[in-house]
Amino acid sequence: MSDLTLNPVLLNPSPIRTIAAKDIRDALRDHFILTVTAFLGLAALVALVTGAIALRGDVATYEAAKASLLALGKSADAIKAPEFYPLRLLRAAIEQIEIIGAAIAILIGYRSAASERGRQTLSLMLTRPMRRWQFVAGKALAGIGLLAGGLALVLSGLTLILHFLSGIGLGADDLLRITIVWGVSVAYTVCFFLVSFILSLHMKHPSHALLLAFAVWLTLVLVAPQIGDTLDPDNQVAGGVFKQLNIAKPDQVEIMKSFATFETVRDGIEQASVTKHFERFTFAVLGIKATYAGLPLGPILIEMLGNLIWIFLTALGLGALALALPLNPDRLAKA
Amino acid sequence: MSDVTSPGRLIARQSARFVLRERTVALLSLMFVVLVLISAWLGWSATSTVNRIYLDAAAFLQSAGQPVPTNPVLDISPLSLMRNMSVYVALIGALSAIVIGNRLVGLDRKAGVLPLIGIRPLGRNAYAGGKIAALAGLILGLAAVVSAAAVATFLVLPAVTLTGLQWAQLAGFMGVTTLYMGFFGLIGLAAGAAARSETVGLLLPVTLWLTLTFIFPQLTANLNPTAAINPLSALAVPPDTTFFHWAARLLGPFSLADAYKFASAGLLDYLPVGITSPSFIPPVINLILAAGVALALAWRALTRLSMTQGDYNV
Repeated sequence: MSDLTLNPVLLNPSPIRTIAAKDIRDALRDHFILTVTAFLGLAALVALVTGAIALRGDVATYEAAKASLLALGKSADAIKAPEFYPLRLLRAAIEQIEIIGAAIAILIGYRSAASERGRQTLSLMLTRPMRRWQFVAGKALAGIGLLAGGLALVLSGLTLILHFLSGIGLGADDLLRITIVWGVSVAYTVCFFLVSFILSLHMKHPSHALLLAFAVWLTLVLVAPQIGDTLDPDNQVAGGVFKQLNIAKPDQVEIMKSFATFETVRDGIEQASVTKHFERFTFAVLGIKATYAGLPLGPILIEMLGNLIWIFLTALGLGALALALPLNPDRLAKA
Repeated sequence: MSDVTSPGRLIARQSARFVLRERTVALLSLMFVVLVLISAWLGWSATSTVNRIYLDAAAFLQSAGQPVPTNPVLDISPLSLMRNMSVYVALIGALSAIVIGNRLVGLDRKAGVLPLIGIRPLGRNAYAGGKIAALAGLILGLAAVVSAAAVATFLVLPAVTLTGLQWAQLAGFMGVTTLYMGFFGLIGLAAGAAARSETVGLLLPVTLWLTLTFIFPQLTANLNPTAAINPLSALAVPPDTTFFHWAARLLGPFSLADAYKFASAGLLDYLPVGITSPSFIPPVINLILAAGVALALAWRALTRLSMTQGDYNV
């Protein structure tokens, strides 16, 4: 007999695919993934629609003020017309992915690991002819696939609504930007999926792992940006400290030079969070940050490359860790 | 015999001890306490940085022969140094309360001791009362730590002096904070008792928290989700459109994160002039009503809990 028939691992060349397909089927069958995707979709839809309504209100106010000035025989140049870049309306939806999307990724990671432990099937699965890393890779692949699918569903829905809501439609460049944002959103949420997956697979109590994963989520998604945001002096006075002191931008830069260390510490705290890199990248690509509005995609991607690398390296590092950590037989059953 | 061994008190004491032994509860609570201390430092640091920027800017404006405006720090009440605390209570305090509420009943269910408790000579009311008393004790304990951090900060900072009214306002803020964490703790308790699975029992209140914190403020005032991490950005005038008028009218009373933010801003003196809560019900009353509803839900779920089932029904 040849080695091929003797080696059971070689008999089934795709255990990764089998496990991934089984996990995806499980997640779809009990409607869990549909429920959480619907929740994220609802949050993102609320964000998009309320933003559009508010913008429409701004336009109406501008039109009324302009009409009043013209009726008085004055020039309408004195009032600034509201700027309209359709992709900017995605701002709050991106923030929902940043916060709720990451939380959902944690739940998917927890379920992926805890489901086998809860049903006491993990030890049974490991008796099958496959390597342990293949089991972990299959599970991780399913989670990434579910996240990618869910985010694709949410972002394509938002794109469709935005296309009709904006009144001017979206072009190929806009669609390319949204596709890039989708890819980065998948990589970003995968980071949280992997944190939760690793913890749930290796900690004694999966429910403790879920809480610990949420503690990590709180720290990276909310606490680090909050500290950075609070330490920004311009956020401490309503309207901004420099605006209240009537100091022009070049002079602001001059004054802030003596606060360079403070700014470095503040920026360092923000940089430590993968969330801030995700926010900076997506806000630049979609032109949400005013300095990038209307700029071509190429220079933006070059400038934002550091953020992109950070996000992908975090995901890859966690992926490598998930594959490298040996499965502990004491952690195979429900605890 | 004294009343020390009354069933309700016994359950409250045992439940609180059981929960305090949980490492995840301890971790989240510790994280909350540490962040509260950080928030006190952040408030001081941010304010003193603005003050130093003003001094630099004033020197710059004087040298340029331009008029020097008043220092914005002088317009800020010392109480507003604690404004970041409201953010951490709304984010981590509420989550800690949910976890405490959930574990108070979840641990009994998971350990399979409900049938054992069920055969003891105590009524369902004693069990429910004991659990709610344990939750109240633990939440009050957290609030006491927060209060101690705030009071110590004001006593340590030499340049800050509070008037009698301001101390009363600080006490009011701590009361509102306890109420807000209590609401989420009771919802955690109710969901932990009513849910068929341990995970659902935890996820239901977390979903409610996510909705109240990040989705409702968008509907009532077009606030972006990340506004929740900045105590000043979270207070904004809603757009003047029919949609937001109706959304505030219909959803305002349910937008509890808004109610807590506005109650805190009012009590800690950082509420900008001309901005009011989207709800037609005053924020503090809103929180009291919500806590009352959560108490009723927790009582109902606990008194209907099946004492014949050991583990979760999954």
